[in-house]
Amino acid sequence: MVSEFYEAYSNRHQLSERWKQEGKKIFGYFCNYTPEELIYSAGIVPVRIRGSAENIDLADAHLPTFCCSYMRSALDQGLKGRYSYLDGVVFPKTCDMTRALYDVWRRNIKLPYYWFLPVPGKRTDEAVEFFTHELRLFKESLEGYSNQEISDESLKQAIRVYNENRSLVAEVYKLSLSDNHPLSGSQVFGILRAGLVMPKEEHNAMLQRLLDSLPAANASSEGRVRLMIAGNNFENIELLQTLEECGGEVVIDDLDIGTRYYGSTVDENSEPLRALAERYLQKIPCPCKHPAEPRLEHILELAKSYRVKGVILVIQKYCDTHLYERPWIEGRLKEEGFPVLAVEHSDTGWAGGKFKTMVQAFIEMLE
Amino acid sequence: MESTQDKPMAPTKPGRLAASAALATLNEDYYRDLANAKEEGRPVVWITSMAPIELVYAFDGIPFLPENYAALCSSRKIAAELCQAGEARGYSQDLCSYALCTFGFIFEKRGAFGDEGPPAPDILLATEGACATHPKWWEAMQRHFDCPLFIVDAAYTVDSETLPEHHKSYFAAQLRELASFMEEHTKRKFDMNRLREVVALSDRSSELWDEIDDFRKAIPTPISQIDVFTCLFPLVTLKGIKEAVAFYEQLRDEVKERVDNGIGFVPNERFRLIWDLFPIYHNMRLLNYFAEFGAAFVTDSYGNAFSGRLDASDPFGSLAERYLSFFMRSAQWGKAELYKKRVREYHVDGIVFHRNRCCRCFTAEQPDVGNILRDELGIPSLMFEANMVDPRGYDDAQVKARIEAFMEMLEARKYPNESGAKEKGGKQQWISI
Repeated sequence: MVSEFYEAYSNRHQLSERWKQEGKKIFGYFCNYTPEELIYSAGIVPVRIRGSAENIDLADAHLPTFCCSYMRSALDQGLKGRYSYLDGVVFPKTCDMTRALYDVWRRNIKLPYYWFLPVPGKRTDEAVEFFTHELRLFKESLEGYSNQEISDESLKQAIRVYNENRSLVAEVYKLSLSDNHPLSGSQVFGILRAGLVMPKEEHNAMLQRLLDSLPAANASSEGRVRLMIAGNNFENIELLQTLEECGGEVVIDDLDIGTRYYGSTVDENSEPLRALAERYLQKIPCPCKHPAEPRLEHILELAKSYRVKGVILVIQKYCDTHLYERPWIEGRLKEEGFPVLAVEHSDTGWAGGKFKTMVQAFIEMLE
Repeated sequence: MESTQDKPMAPTKPGRLAASAALATLNEDYYRDLANAKEEGRPVVWITSMAPIELVYAFDGIPFLPENYAALCSSRKIAAELCQAGEARGYSQDLCSYALCTFGFIFEKRGAFGDEGPPAPDILLATEGACATHPKWWEAMQRHFDCPLFIVDAAYTVDSETLPEHHKSYFAAQLRELASFMEEHTKRKFDMNRLREVVALSDRSSELWDEIDDFRKAIPTPISQIDVFTCLFPLVTLKGIKEAVAFYEQLRDEVKERVDNGIGFVPNERFRLIWDLFPIYHNMRLLNYFAEFGAAFVTDSYGNAFSGRLDASDPFGSLAERYLSFFMRSAQWGKAELYKKRVREYHVDGIVFHRNRCCRCFTAEQPDVGNILRDELGIPSLMFEANMVDPRGYDDAQVKARIEAFMEMLEARKYPNESGAKEKGGKQQWISI
């Protein structure tokens, strides 16, 4: 069952090509601050732009090497034509890189549609009002592009599909509350990752089938050291597999593609644009937003309720906003009794070597 | 003063700016006021660049810009140790070196003048106007100092030259909120008329700065890039007080006099360049190295970012407009358009990009801006890496070798029939720096 999710992700470009042949439009997007529901309601499939393990060759002519490997790799993939099936790309304002990359992509990768979405940095009422206005502009632009009106009903339908997705993923997470849960941490990661690159109704169907067919328990997870993984973008599932090889297991995350993405539902009873604005500004924040406390509270709450023994903090090298918060998050976790293994990475070297040695030592210390 | 045309083989190099004495006084007065602020009951507000500093002066506060101070630490050669101290607290070496150095001086309580550093903030004020990292840095300082923090959100406009009305109104609404926040935490009443006065003075400083910048179009260009960076301090920190205006009037007059008399910073100026972005504070003299090849910087992106016109009849509205639309935060095409205009107006031969290793926000688009200038105007660029504040890992010989190669290339392009300079390794020996 889980292999279905792995395949969907590793064949994501081929799947997209197929939808394209079926006449669907496909938009790429960056960051979990893109209100995908709007794109979906315009009849367009939103897929997350991801990096790749492939060498970076073409991006260096357009971007300094001291930028995060995710943005460099994503741009490189774009320049190599790996995303040539896209009809458009949406960049929400999150970090400085995302803002700058809008320009770099637009200049160097010719696609029919580009949109930059100014997302406020705060979560006040004025910010929600501002963002509602921006969402209206984005909606009008999508209507212009697809030449058809987005009705309130289709937007509400999109919100329902996305909310359903969030509740199904929440059920997957809840399985790991017990010590002998049926899915390993790397399997859960594979499930989350697939949801980034496929239509949500398909992901929902797969999740439902999976949840229906899972055994209640799996003894193989018993006795493993329960871990939380927090931080941001990594492409490579080997990271989680290495943790498992060393006797650990991730049972919960605070990741950009994990709880910060799949958490927080949209209120289905309010005016849809306003409800979207509220959800995206009041969700568990990424470090590019202010204030930072809700994320720390979220991390501590999850660490406690999922009874983790320690936390792996993974931060992309050159990711400024995460790096500013690192000493604080690390310090507060330790104060609360959660040892931390912090790793600044370029999303390579997860399979062995230095990383594995560090993990072994960390897990031994926790046992 | 002599004109350079009269004695081409023994050109005069203008001496120090007379205005530097006035600048030194402004500096001293500022740091004295800062040191006495607590005693005099004036609120000390630690503020980011591109934040509405005018509000601080309107409340009779003293603004303190850690980045300015980090630059000072860098020029006083203590930045490496301070950055290391920041790292020792878990902050990455890749972070903005203004911030890393600041963490160093606040944790170590070690200042640029052999003292304990600046007085702690009563209020922290940040915007996302310059970059997304400013608020993160300010949040970290709030956790350290445990004092009130206000962040002004500044939305980006990327596709249009005109500022959308709702961007302006969102920013202006936050300024009103900031005024109430300042009232609450300074226990002083907000006075709109006082803000109008400050805004008028700030505007006047910017107007004078723009005039000075305009004089740089003259051939030869009248002042050095080092002077430009040095004279920026009042525009950054003292915008809104009358002493700053008086200083810029004096500077403007002096620059005008040089232009009227045909005096240039580089006598027999052979090349005119744009400097893109941050100074290298630990090695400002590198800017003068270009002069050895007869090259002068005639405009830059950094200095002008601090100039912005305001309207005293609409303080909040014009502050919103100014802080949302300064050049450095414009989209790539906006930056390229401005440079293209400057290339024509300032008669530019090439552009030098300082790839500031610790700043992704303003370096990410440098390669493409360079590509646009090359493709559309045939303007060559030099790009080299350094770190603005942190001198560790800086390789002066390597940077100079790249500059030399670039200048040789420019020489061959601009003066293909002259071989004299080449025999001297591209350098003009008659300049003494």
